[in-house]
Amino acid sequence: MIFQTLVLNLLATFNGERTVSAVYHLLRGKRSGQTIQDVGIFGLHSYFGILPKLQRRQFDEQINNLSNQHYISILPENRYRITETGYSFLKQSMKLSFDGWHYRGNEHIFFARLSLIVQTLSYLSDGNMKFIPIQQNDDIQLWVKSYLKTQQYQNGHLQQKLLNEIVASLEKVKNEEREKSIVIKRLSGVNQPGFTWQQISIHEKLTEMDVQLLYISCIHHWLNEITFSEENYPLLSKIAERVRIEMTLTESANQTAQLFKKGYSIDEISMIRNLKTSTIEDHIVELAMNDRKFPIVKFLTEEETNSVLRTIDDYQTKKLKVLHEVLPNLSYFQLRLVLARGDSNSWN
Amino acid sequence: MELEDILYRHFGYHSFRPGQKEVIEQIVVGRDVIALLPTGMGKSLCYQLPGYVFNGTVLIVSPLLSLMQDQVTQMKQFGEKRVVALNSFLTFQQKQYALNYLHQYRFIFISPEMLLQKQVYERLNEVNLSLVVVDEAHCISQWGFDFRPDYLRIGELFHGVNRPPILALSATATNKVLGDIQNYLKMDEPFHYIHSVDRKNIHLSRRQFQRQEDKVDWIIEHVLETEGPGIIYTQSRTKAENISNRLIQVGVQAASYHAGKESVDRQFIQQQFIEGSIQWIVATNAFGMGVHKSDVRQVIHHSLPSNIANYMQEIGRAGRDGKDSLAILLYEDGDENFAKMLATDDLPTDHHIALYENYRFKNENPFIMFQNGEISETAFRVLDYWMNEQPTDEVQRLLHKMRIEKMQAVDEMMEIVQTKDCMRNVLVHYFGQQLTERPNNCCECCGIIVKEIIEPRKLHEISTKPDSWKDRIQSILIGRKNK
Repeated sequence: MIFQTLVLNLLATFNGERTVSAVYHLLRGKRSGQTIQDVGIFGLHSYFGILPKLQRRQFDEQINNLSNQHYISILPENRYRITETGYSFLKQSMKLSFDGWHYRGNEHIFFARLSLIVQTLSYLSDGNMKFIPIQQNDDIQLWVKSYLKTQQYQNGHLQQKLLNEIVASLEKVKNEEREKSIVIKRLSGVNQPGFTWQQISIHEKLTEMDVQLLYISCIHHWLNEITFSEENYPLLSKIAERVRIEMTLTESANQTAQLFKKGYSIDEISMIRNLKTSTIEDHIVELAMNDRKFPIVKFLTEEETNSVLRTIDDYQTKKLKVLHEVLPNLSYFQLRLVLARGDSNSWN
Repeated sequence: MELEDILYRHFGYHSFRPGQKEVIEQIVVGRDVIALLPTGMGKSLCYQLPGYVFNGTVLIVSPLLSLMQDQVTQMKQFGEKRVVALNSFLTFQQKQYALNYLHQYRFIFISPEMLLQKQVYERLNEVNLSLVVVDEAHCISQWGFDFRPDYLRIGELFHGVNRPPILALSATATNKVLGDIQNYLKMDEPFHYIHSVDRKNIHLSRRQFQRQEDKVDWIIEHVLETEGPGIIYTQSRTKAENISNRLIQVGVQAASYHAGKESVDRQFIQQQFIEGSIQWIVATNAFGMGVHKSDVRQVIHHSLPSNIANYMQEIGRAGRDGKDSLAILLYEDGDENFAKMLATDDLPTDHHIALYENYRFKNENPFIMFQNGEISETAFRVLDYWMNEQPTDEVQRLLHKMRIEKMQAVDEMMEIVQTKDCMRNVLVHYFGQQLTERPNNCCECCGIIVKEIIEPRKLHEISTKPDSWKDRIQSILIGRKNK
């Protein structure tokens, strides 16, 4: 149900102006120009990359479900329309929130580290260091090994300190108790195996996908609590090290950004970097999307910006083609910049 | 010094377990040995003890990285400091350090992949090796259940007059596999120690069915009436899911286990099974390697294993504690066709050979065919090895032969299904051994009364009130609160 509501909500946000695949790419966090721009245009940062391993089969199944229940009707060329039933269903909104943009699947690294640390400390409390590590990944194992060493795990105080941090931070997280339980059920220790997704899903009477969405949402908020109040959680914030993505630009866009900040024009940057101007424009759009203070006045006047926003409102569309027809004096690049700003809440 | 003295001084035991002394005596005089010892019979002592007799180093090649790591930890706990494991767990610095000081170790554990690295191999050549141990030696044979082409190269690395003696260890191997081990490792008239494959406390039952669904219905009924813990083997993930779901629906603590589950979930299931909160596991053959649970009472085969060695390996997970256990083989007409399909599924086909040739002809790396999803990983490993060894038409002939032999292996398995004489007899014969005596309730043919082997099902209390998340994390990290 949660997954279904999520997909339907996203389809509604795209307002039929994209194909159903746009939702799939968004959830998987596809790093292509189109998907990244859609994030900005439709203000979908929180959902970007929350399910990096989502399989097309699973997604298509959900689309079929929605269509069978007459929430959407499928149109030719992978397009769709939300039905009356669909809209009335949407009135009960999504309660679950995410921070996909800043984690993009990295939350699993955090949890893998944490689960191996917790397992090790549990066995250490029990005086038994012979166990099969719950995380088989070499990078995680090496990371945890060096973490435990620097924290002097052998003096026996780490368990209580970590417990205090976990309880204090999770208590602050606004997710429901049920969601926190799901997260903690995925940890294990001496004589306390964790619970499989199948087992949790039977217990909660939810699908495995829904259980995982609750889990991801809870971890996103937990990570935000930890990183925004680092000083309160020294142990956990170290475990969350480099998990949150602050630099959300692609590497190439970042290089362009550096030159742009030095005052070079698009044409100059294109020359210096030996890339097409259209590519540089893509980067600028990405930049505008990531930085709320981006000075788009360098590319179009305030008056022009307002005319774009008005047109979007009048015609109820974010389709570039339509906007360009109405405002032929503005380039596609200028239109995309305005869309990328994504700071007008009146849009949704 | 007597071997018993060394045994006591280094390991604290007064006497050897069956087979150990026979094997060690041959090794210390420099003879090659093939030893078939069941898991848990003290295989590792067979090379650890000679380590204290020789001046040089013992090299142990093992494909199971986690077991390798366990072993090294254990030896260190017993006070052996001169032991190292060379595998992919090492960082670059750790590896360089270990290689620099290689000659100082008494025991070197190594993965086959690492052994083939030029730098490692050249360093090993400079070390005075007294013994080379090939653990899980059946992996060398295409006929073993876990073929690893890397193993084939071990024989190429250690040959010539001055090579150290080789000890090949395994828990299960047929005569054919034994032959392969001897040939590929280029062993010199090896001494064989073969422990009896017969497990008297495992009683062999079988049942015939008319329809596939009847099998599952019967399993549900049987599991509701008899006591576990038990493992149900089936051949596909979907079937494992379906059967486990049906068991859960009727209130049995069951879980499915297959390669499609994420690795953390697989470990949770293993732990729960060992600890007892799961009674039944419904598994594909992915379940087994490295699972130590001694009190498994039943192993049920929902589908036909693809050969007797696999069957033996899988039923062998029952009754490690020596107590009576039951193995039940379910059969329906036509099961053998499906088993044949599965058994040959992973073999490269003529089509794959042609593709491989084509890539090679275009001067491209044939590995592309795996990346493009044109061939499975296992099949590619096999194909790639042979294409580098033999001319194409020879590879073709070889693979045809393998295909036929894999099908014959299923037919051999059918003998266990069909025999009117004695299932145990067929099993033991297959491994080239003689059956000396039959236990009570030997098998379906000799007569078997299930009630005498397995207890009726007891209801297992499930604690209804789960811990709050705070209690749970507290009890994991600190231990249970005294209530």
